[in-house]
Amino acid sequence: MKEEIELLKEGKRLDGRGFDELRPIKIEVGVLKRADGSCYFELGDNKVIAAVYGPREMHPRHAQDAKMAVVKFRYNMAPFSVDERKRPGPDRRSMEISKVSREALDPVIMREYYPKTEIDVYVEILQSDAGTRTAGINAASVALADAGIPMKDLVSSVAVGKIEGEVVLDLNAMEDNYGEADMPVAMVTRTNTITLLQMDGRLEKEEFKRGLQLAMSACRQIYELQRAALIDRYSESVVEGEGEE
Amino acid sequence: MYKVVIPGDFISEAVSRAGEGTYVEDGKVYAMRYGIVDERGSIKVVPLSGKYVPTEGDVVIGRVTEISFPFWIVDIASPYEARLHMSEFADTRDEKIEFGSLSRYLDLDDLIVAKVTNVDLMMRIDLALKEDFNLRRGGRLIEIPHTKVPRVIGRGGSMIKMLKEKCNCFIFIAKNGRIWIRGREDDMNLATEAILKIASESHTSGLTDRVADFLDSFKREKGRR
Amino acid sequence: MGLEIVDDIRKDYVHDLIGSGKRVDGRGFREYREISMEHDVIKRAEGSARVKIGNTDVLVGVKLEPGAPFPDAPDEGVIITNAEFVPLASPEFESGPPDENSVQLARVVDRGIRSSRAIDLEKLCIEEGEKVWIVFIDIHILDNDGNLVDAAALGAIASLLNIRIPNERYGLTGENTLPMLDTPVAVTTVEIEGNILVDPNFNEENAATSRLTVISNKDGTLSAMQKSGSGGLKEEEIAEMVEIGIEKAGEIREKFL
Repeated sequence: MKEEIELLKEGKRLDGRGFDELRPIKIEVGVLKRADGSCYFELGDNKVIAAVYGPREMHPRHAQDAKMAVVKFRYNMAPFSVDERKRPGPDRRSMEISKVSREALDPVIMREYYPKTEIDVYVEILQSDAGTRTAGINAASVALADAGIPMKDLVSSVAVGKIEGEVVLDLNAMEDNYGEADMPVAMVTRTNTITLLQMDGRLEKEEFKRGLQLAMSACRQIYELQRAALIDRYSESVVEGEGEE
Repeated sequence: MYKVVIPGDFISEAVSRAGEGTYVEDGKVYAMRYGIVDERGSIKVVPLSGKYVPTEGDVVIGRVTEISFPFWIVDIASPYEARLHMSEFADTRDEKIEFGSLSRYLDLDDLIVAKVTNVDLMMRIDLALKEDFNLRRGGRLIEIPHTKVPRVIGRGGSMIKMLKEKCNCFIFIAKNGRIWIRGREDDMNLATEAILKIASESHTSGLTDRVADFLDSFKREKGRR
Repeated sequence: MGLEIVDDIRKDYVHDLIGSGKRVDGRGFREYREISMEHDVIKRAEGSARVKIGNTDVLVGVKLEPGAPFPDAPDEGVIITNAEFVPLASPEFESGPPDENSVQLARVVDRGIRSSRAIDLEKLCIEEGEKVWIVFIDIHILDNDGNLVDAAALGAIASLLNIRIPNERYGLTGENTLPMLDTPVAVTTVEIEGNILVDPNFNEENAATSRLTVISNKDGTLSAMQKSGSGGLKEEEIAEMVEIGIEKAGEIREKFL
């Protein structure tokens, strides 16, 4: 039997957060020189980096799509990212996460603008504290924009869960391990369209609905941060001599 | 003042004026790219990044990567490669080139200036050779993101005119972000530095003046030594 | 990405029909194809079932073997779920290691069983910290006409319901049966032209851009969900899919489990 631990003390979570509070987020755009687009993203103790290469020529030729770009997504965890060293290389979990992450972004990428090419999205988890796939999707969205990929919108992502009967936002690793449900969500905030939805655990239908709404509202907050990071990058900084060009 | 937008940003309801870099949905014009809005004329989003995709009429600098009779396959800094048919090469119009002898005219890694004559639905890109100048001797090729090219040219050519004068170099800027410079070694270094500076500060205003100052101060330094 | 063959003509046909309220095979939007189930089809397995939903045909075999427990659960048995999309089942399936689709299917079925606590893992303990029963759930796709996950999940539960623990083979004594604590059922729906359709066949699966699998328990609680496909879903569509999921799970559970 797994040991029971108390995740809530006097109605507050162990890290002091309220039920609907996100962990601190940090976003940096264009952090890699060689990639066409990149983003470093922190969500609490999660540290992830996303890079986009492309559109570029696709090989093998027979796998090309004559009408649109093929998007590939690779989620990978560094061996030192977790407590018990993770053997390098893809495993079943990262395969599934890569698939659902790609499907979370596909709806917004306008692939028809670059037929026969491939767009590669690489997400590396450098440090993990639950919610890595959501951090990865957030970072990948920003990296895709940074790479100049034509998109309809950004995608924003967060997970909700249930601990000691309470529906809460953005579980950390402890809460994920000992909690009762875990539900990652991704959304296009402008259209309120859900592009990623997974759930694992035990939720009543009503708890699920509440959790989904909580996730959607948090995604809107995250969207503002993603947007700010991209806009601020090109804000007029130190410039001597104004005047029109 | 430049307005930066990200994909999905609402720009305008003037759907009839929607242009490049935007898409229309439910009677509204949205940004499709991470870039700068330009509402003079059509509503455009000028991208801050992204790969070069050729259009008919573009003049590019290419590098031969493969010889595949009767074509040379040319890399034009795009996700798509281009091809040059042997008949485009002036010398060959009178002669008949044999299989295996294409490399005598243009070999692997040779640089060419060419015009994009056709881009078809399958993204096959055809080039025609432009022989306005020789790309083989005593010059240097640099590459900047193609999105920065307009800035290096400047409004009405103001920036590139200034660069040519102050650096005393021949400078040719191709649409695909490749730039050919020819001059004395230290003049070429100065021009290179100036162009890279423009590329990295392309989103700021007052750039022409700043670059002019940069070049002038460099020359003053040089004069002192 | 696997070879996803999308026949544009068929896709448009499906869309057009649905736009006028019909499905290609004449079913209602909330209607499953005919489901049939055979128990204990493989004598050498400790549990097995063959499930057909329409033309989709899935065989699940369960094998048990003693092995080491996970260090953080020394008194619990282990479940390992795998799916083989063997080439004979479909022109798109290639031989080779599991691709992302078969990995996803296996993991979703596994989560449904695990989260619902359908199996009392403590009953699978042989010697705490040393030896437990490893339950291998192997899903073998025989014919892919869409909605593999519902058939696979149903086959898995049906296999587990009448499991025989092979104590004798390993010189062990203990219970020979393993009662199930819950019977989670997976129900998959797709969205096409703003309509929600349950149990998509192969053509409907390809015509749709979004699919949601909802796995629910005897008491109507949700134990797993998975959205797949390159489309997006609205909150109301998801709510409808969850409703259908719980409702249909109840019907299927009553009839087959």
